[in-house]
Amino acid sequence: MDLNSLTFLLFAIGVVVLSNCFPSAAGRGTVLALASAMFIGSYASTPLQLVPLLSFLALCFGVVRAVQWRPSRRMVWAGVTTVLLCFVYLKRFSFIDSLPALPFAYVMVGLSYILFRIIHLTVDISQGMLQEKIGPIAFFNYTCNFLSFVSGPIQRYQDFAEVSNKRLRLDDKVVSAAFSRIVGGFVKVAVISGIANHIFNPLVTRLTEQSGGMSMPAMALLFATTAITYVIYLYYNFSGYMDIVIGIGRLIGIDLPENFNKPFSSRNFLEFWSRWHITLSDWFKTYVFNPLMKCMVNRIPSVAMLPALGVIAFFVTFMLMGMWHGTGSVFLIYGLMMGAGASANKLWQVAMPRCLGKQRYKALCGGVMYPWLCSGMTCAWFALGLACFWLELPQFTFLAQSLGVLGIIFAFCVLTLASAIILGLTRYASGRLAPLASRMAARARGVVVHNMMLGTRVVIIGLVLSFFHKAPEFVYRAF
Amino acid sequence: MRPFISQLALLGLSSLAVYALIFGVSLIFMPPQRQAVGMDTARASSTLFATEPKYVFLNRSLLNTRHNKVLLLGASNMAVGFKQDKVQQLIRAAEVNNLSVGGSNVTQLRQIVDLVHEVQSREARRHNTFVIGMWYGLFVDDSQRWTTADRQAGDTDIDIERYRYGFFRRTEAGPVAVLPPRWLDLGVHIIHPYLVIDKLVRDATKTIRQMISIAPPGTSDAQRNIKTVSEQDKHRYLAFWRKYMGEGKLSDSQFQTLALLVDEILATGARVIVVDLPIPHWHEQGSPYQSEYRKRAHELLAALSSRSGVSVFQLQDVGEDDEFSDEVHPKPRVAEQWAQQLAVALTDHFGKDGGMNENVASGELPKNALHQLTTVSK
Repeated sequence: MDLNSLTFLLFAIGVVVLSNCFPSAAGRGTVLALASAMFIGSYASTPLQLVPLLSFLALCFGVVRAVQWRPSRRMVWAGVTTVLLCFVYLKRFSFIDSLPALPFAYVMVGLSYILFRIIHLTVDISQGMLQEKIGPIAFFNYTCNFLSFVSGPIQRYQDFAEVSNKRLRLDDKVVSAAFSRIVGGFVKVAVISGIANHIFNPLVTRLTEQSGGMSMPAMALLFATTAITYVIYLYYNFSGYMDIVIGIGRLIGIDLPENFNKPFSSRNFLEFWSRWHITLSDWFKTYVFNPLMKCMVNRIPSVAMLPALGVIAFFVTFMLMGMWHGTGSVFLIYGLMMGAGASANKLWQVAMPRCLGKQRYKALCGGVMYPWLCSGMTCAWFALGLACFWLELPQFTFLAQSLGVLGIIFAFCVLTLASAIILGLTRYASGRLAPLASRMAARARGVVVHNMMLGTRVVIIGLVLSFFHKAPEFVYRAF
Repeated sequence: MRPFISQLALLGLSSLAVYALIFGVSLIFMPPQRQAVGMDTARASSTLFATEPKYVFLNRSLLNTRHNKVLLLGASNMAVGFKQDKVQQLIRAAEVNNLSVGGSNVTQLRQIVDLVHEVQSREARRHNTFVIGMWYGLFVDDSQRWTTADRQAGDTDIDIERYRYGFFRRTEAGPVAVLPPRWLDLGVHIIHPYLVIDKLVRDATKTIRQMISIAPPGTSDAQRNIKTVSEQDKHRYLAFWRKYMGEGKLSDSQFQTLALLVDEILATGARVIVVDLPIPHWHEQGSPYQSEYRKRAHELLAALSSRSGVSVFQLQDVGEDDEFSDEVHPKPRVAEQWAQQLAVALTDHFGKDGGMNENVASGELPKNALHQLTTVSK
């Protein structure tokens, strides 16, 4: 079921109505389980296609139960390793190409997010942070909740269980806010990301198929334009998707965590990742960075080495996070780029105060130009790395060879400058327009104005959708 | 529950109110145009429908008449070679309609014929004469032709128009009509604001779309008349068609579809004229598909020409390299000769009672020929 379709909207309306008809915790749990089963079933054309996913879920449930029964370290390692091996096999990572695949096509959507949730459950149970015994329906609802099954957000079980156990009560204020969030999400996905996608597709075709006779600066400019268009497309696509599922979640009494917090206002790469795909970053921080750091500090207990260990831990964490995004070799490059960006950022943060002194560095950070430039560089590096999302490895290699080192540096500079100018102007304009926006927001609180504004957005969504041959898909579904 | 239902109703009502407001403004700003006699996809960009497929899909109810109708069908070389107004000036026995859509293959031609039949009465169908212009580019396989990133795999340009405004819905068995064909005009009225805004946006963003290769750059007739194709252009065009057609041979299924299409047309009591369209000699010699096309087209045309209701028409003394502005499209000055030859063939086809305008023989073309249509009742 495409989340951008009328079918999904009608499905969601049905789920909201049913959840409100059965507002008790048990009633809502049953509705959510049925809805999630229907949602996942819609990805399969035969029951056989669901067998691997259901087997994986059964294995995960067994592992969770086993860890609950005996929360030893050995059990956790054995459980997580088994789940990981199955995950790698089912996802068909390129490094296991030599292993025979299952002889039929099967549903792979949602596997990554199930894995994250299972590791969280097993680790938290083993550490005594999760005492509650998890039943099969609660397990299914947590791992396969149709709202977060495809692309997250990754919610902690404790938070999920807390809201799931409450009786559903909706009031006008909650409903109105949820509708605004959903319609706003569709505007992001269908309108902004749709337009960006419409521009992006011919640009990438031109770059990969018609850039043969181009000069290096022209090709670098084309690459920079394509890369920045993809960033716009991806951000509005993914954050719009989050708005939609968070909005629907509120109507059925599920409070999903936020996944974006103005990422492009970040002044450095590490801050960026604390604002972009927040729940994924938090997961990696909790289950990769912290244990890794702890392990390294235990082995090298030197305060002087802490910054260096931090750099290594950041590199490994971000590299793994990057590699998680895909099964092809090109995602290794993406992982290395993200790792390099994060560790370089950490190194800079360590080195600069030493070189300039803390006061001067603080003054530099508090200025105007330096933060602008840092924002631009952050965005540029991210955009460069994201090229791995829209280029196959041979195309990536061809482009890198055609551009050369100078061309890539030129493209990076163009991206930095363009991003710094766009982000700076956006910040300036939003600052100037803030009073006007708050006045308009105050007026929009009235029922009529509020709904007319929502109605206008709905008409615009319909209009823009009619422009394009196909509605943009949710990009993160592929990961 | 109550807050949810009331908010849902409020959203629906407010959306309708906003749409009604836009509808009113669009009617004032750009009232619906009354279509002149004779459809012509070459004029699509100057109409509210903006593109050829949309023009054919939304405008086709004009064809539900009991006049004799000539329906030109093919890809862009058909539209450029047989300009609707030129052919119409020479024919008084029938209303000439150009339904050619650029980039068509046979599958899409069949869809266009289906759409025409969908809105026509049984009597109106009997008065159709389809003129199908064929060349090797028409026989590209569906799996090769309809797989661009911006469409659902397999959707033709006509399919896209079917789904665009919800007039059809997608099913596993193919498109299914949501709006009954008899309500097509009502549907077109309802979506008027969307058509207006689409047109305005297209016109306003034309330059930007050309810059990023979404829209092809336009050329005037005068420019095309003096255009010469350089050696570099020839290499580029040949490379384009190799990529467009894919590796290997012409599609068997497309030849079969053409035979089926002719069967379907004949079954309605209508008639078919198949035109074998020329391409420049350098293109014939450089293309890996042309020799196979020649052989298979010869067999197909031989089979078709033996059938009642089907004529095969070969253009005479055409195909010189300087008659083409590119690799397939004849220059506008040549289109007049093509139109004259087709007019002669159509006159034979309709019989002497309602044949070619007398002035054609002397080379004088009537200025108001478009309005001299004769209704032939049978």
